[in-house]
Amino acid sequence: MKKSTDADLAMSKSAVKISLDLLSNPLCEQDQDFLNMVTALDMAMKRMDAFNQEKVNQIQKTVIEPLKRFGSVFPSLNMAVKRREQALQDYRRLQAKVEKYEEKEKTGPVLAKLHQAREELRPVQEDFEAKNKQLLDEMPRFYGSRLDYFQPSFESLIRAQVVYYSEMHKIFGDLTQQLDQPGHSDEQRERENEAKLSELRALSIVADD
Amino acid sequence: MAHCGTDEPSSGSLDGEGQSLEDRSLLQQSLAIRELMDTEDSYLHMLRLCASDVRSRLQQLPQGDLDVLFSNIDEIIQVSSRFLHGLQETASKEEKQVLLIGNLFLEFQEDFEQVYKVYCANYDQALLLLKAYQKEPELQQEIQSIIQAVVPQAGPSGLSFILVIPLQRVTKYPLLLQKILENTLPDASAYPVLLRATSALQDVNANINEYKMRKEVASKYTKVEQLTLRERLARINTHTLSKKTTRLSQMLKQEAGLVPRTEDKEFDDLEEKFQWVSLCVTELKNNVATYLDNLEAFLHFRPHECDLDIPGGPVVQYCSLARDLQHEAFLEFKQRLKGLVWRPLCSLAKALVGPQNLIKKRLDKLLDFERLEEKLLEVGSMTYEEEAARHTYQALNSLLVAELPKFNQLVVEWLGQILRTFMALQRDLAKQVLQRAEGSISQLPHHHISEPAFRKLVEDTLGQTSTQLLSFRENFEKVLPPSTSQPLLPGSESQVQALLSKYGPGKLYQTTSNISGAGTLDLTLSRGQIVALLQNKDTKGHSSRWLVDTGGHRGYVPAGKLQLYRVIPSEEHRGQAGVQQDSHHLAPAPAPALVPSTPTVTQVVAAYPFMARSTHEVSLQAGQPVTILEAHDKKGNPEWSLVEVNGQRGYVPSGFLARAPSPAPWGWTLPS
Repeated sequence: MKKSTDADLAMSKSAVKISLDLLSNPLCEQDQDFLNMVTALDMAMKRMDAFNQEKVNQIQKTVIEPLKRFGSVFPSLNMAVKRREQALQDYRRLQAKVEKYEEKEKTGPVLAKLHQAREELRPVQEDFEAKNKQLLDEMPRFYGSRLDYFQPSFESLIRAQVVYYSEMHKIFGDLTQQLDQPGHSDEQRERENEAKLSELRALSIVADD
Repeated sequence: MAHCGTDEPSSGSLDGEGQSLEDRSLLQQSLAIRELMDTEDSYLHMLRLCASDVRSRLQQLPQGDLDVLFSNIDEIIQVSSRFLHGLQETASKEEKQVLLIGNLFLEFQEDFEQVYKVYCANYDQALLLLKAYQKEPELQQEIQSIIQAVVPQAGPSGLSFILVIPLQRVTKYPLLLQKILENTLPDASAYPVLLRATSALQDVNANINEYKMRKEVASKYTKVEQLTLRERLARINTHTLSKKTTRLSQMLKQEAGLVPRTEDKEFDDLEEKFQWVSLCVTELKNNVATYLDNLEAFLHFRPHECDLDIPGGPVVQYCSLARDLQHEAFLEFKQRLKGLVWRPLCSLAKALVGPQNLIKKRLDKLLDFERLEEKLLEVGSMTYEEEAARHTYQALNSLLVAELPKFNQLVVEWLGQILRTFMALQRDLAKQVLQRAEGSISQLPHHHISEPAFRKLVEDTLGQTSTQLLSFRENFEKVLPPSTSQPLLPGSESQVQALLSKYGPGKLYQTTSNISGAGTLDLTLSRGQIVALLQNKDTKGHSSRWLVDTGGHRGYVPAGKLQLYRVIPSEEHRGQAGVQQDSHHLAPAPAPALVPSTPTVTQVVAAYPFMARSTHEVSLQAGQPVTILEAHDKKGNPEWSLVEVNGQRGYVPSGFLARAPSPAPWGWTLPS
């Protein structure tokens, strides 16, 4: 997600660069119309960049940060699972010992050892069960909490985009209204381009390829 | 023609002579006019024949070739037919005819020039093509037969005969006009018009030639030749070497100030503007390329494809929205950008190459030209090659001067167009995104809230959820209290007592597992043994090895295997003993009040039987539950506790008391 926002920023920056370079070209000094157009474009681009930055900040705050925080719980969770695992091992081990003693003949020392083993087993068993229960309780809760947790993030994501794009629409709509003949379809533009190209080619100083 | 005028006796009046002279000239004039009209008619007829019949029969040639051969013959036909029509109209006008003809020529001057110059410039190429055809005998034969059928008078030269006709015609016009002019009286009203017309047509021819030459020069020098080094080397011969050295010397002379440089302000301005224009185009192209690259990178990352397994709600909408956006809106934007902005820019950039080459060449030729001018001044004449070089320079110069302004202007206009397209594309993209987003946003739960309020809401919610997360984390991190202290090995309680009395209750530790001593001073202990701590670090200062006393032996044991053994243990200390094995997993600020999840209900019981030796003391049996009244005796000695058991009160040693989880009684009996 972070990379996506970085790329977004980069894109916006390069758009600003376009207009900046254009403005610095000395052609602007000569041709007033061209200058006007390029200045307007430059302003628009700069504003767009500002909005984009704002959008990215908002996304950072409301989506990326929460994502990170959510993710940071996982290491602790894993640790708890590991501890449970260990407890399980201990429990099993002791359980096996108890069973081993139980199978032997019930002589005095064996009985004593059996008792002792049982004593050792009990706390371990309790510990394991406690850990198990805890995980069984907590993990589903945690997992389920993500539903509510993320709702606002995504909502905010969508809204941030909407805000940004509506600004963009407004700005560029004004710009094109001012400068361009709006409503040109793509084919018309293609044809205009072709026309200009053939005009250029008609000049003999341009090489034909 | 009757030479009646000269046969008359010279005594005839001047008027008569003049009259007959005039008659003669009038006659000649009308004949010339008639010739003009007739030839025009037949010319047009021939043209039509060629264009329609001959061309349509030459089917076996590809269309491209036909275009080259016949180029704009249709346009010529149109112009000629209009011209002929005009001529024919004048036929009825009698005296005015000549005037009208003159005017007609002037009227058509521009059209003639436009139409014929294209044809003439193309003519060389057509000739080349014909030559190529002649190399294929079969094809030649076919063409020949077709020509023979349609235009018998073409003779063996065939197609070239036909093709040269327009060229011949346009050069004939001045001659025809000249003839008419000769036979017109200088004081006739038509005379000045005719004069202008004649010179106009001559101009037309001159211009056509000029145009042709420029075209040749341009095509010679505009192409950038991709030569390998070897080819370049092969091209060097004495001629080129001498050319280049003379140019170099000329340039040096100019730099040194020995020779004045011809300053052409107009050209320099044009060139400067051209350089700006080309800079603009290249920069724009580069920037758009970067923009496209970034767009690609942006589209490359697809966070919405990672699955969070969250059904319903905004997440699904976001995913579908993002998917739509990426696949449709942005893709369309990218394609349109490429087609309408990137490709034209590339063509523009390519188009810049030609003029750049020409400008460079012009500079070279300028150096030649200047040198030749010097020579002309000195010597007064030039060789043929030098004349040619002069002409080349002049042709180049005039070509550039004529066409660069137009070029610059066109490029600027086109750039403007491209930029406007770019803006429109952005606007369209925004519109698309909005359209799609509007649909999803109305389904979002909070869509009616304004933006700032929404942001506050989100912040609050996030604050809450983050605290929730923190609590989760703590839950997972808390360490459950380890198992309650392990049962003592049988027979060791006296040892415990001894240690207890010697060191005090705070120093007793129990081993949690078997310890095998490795070093010389290390002890080997079994599990559950009670030892007393002497020092919590070894001689080297490591705090992981502790010096302990088992009651009989002293030595080192690993600290991790010891667990604090409280004879009257308390819950808090158990959790906090630093020797516990998983203590280092605790978060940096462990909450001291870790609540064990299995709250133990504890009760004080007697750990060992005790015989009361005096009336202040009370007897205990192992496992008997007692109630501690005071944890020390009258003198404040903590080793004795006042307890109540079985209704009796008395003092017992504190060491004989233990807290045990009440549901689990001690499983073994002490040997009494």
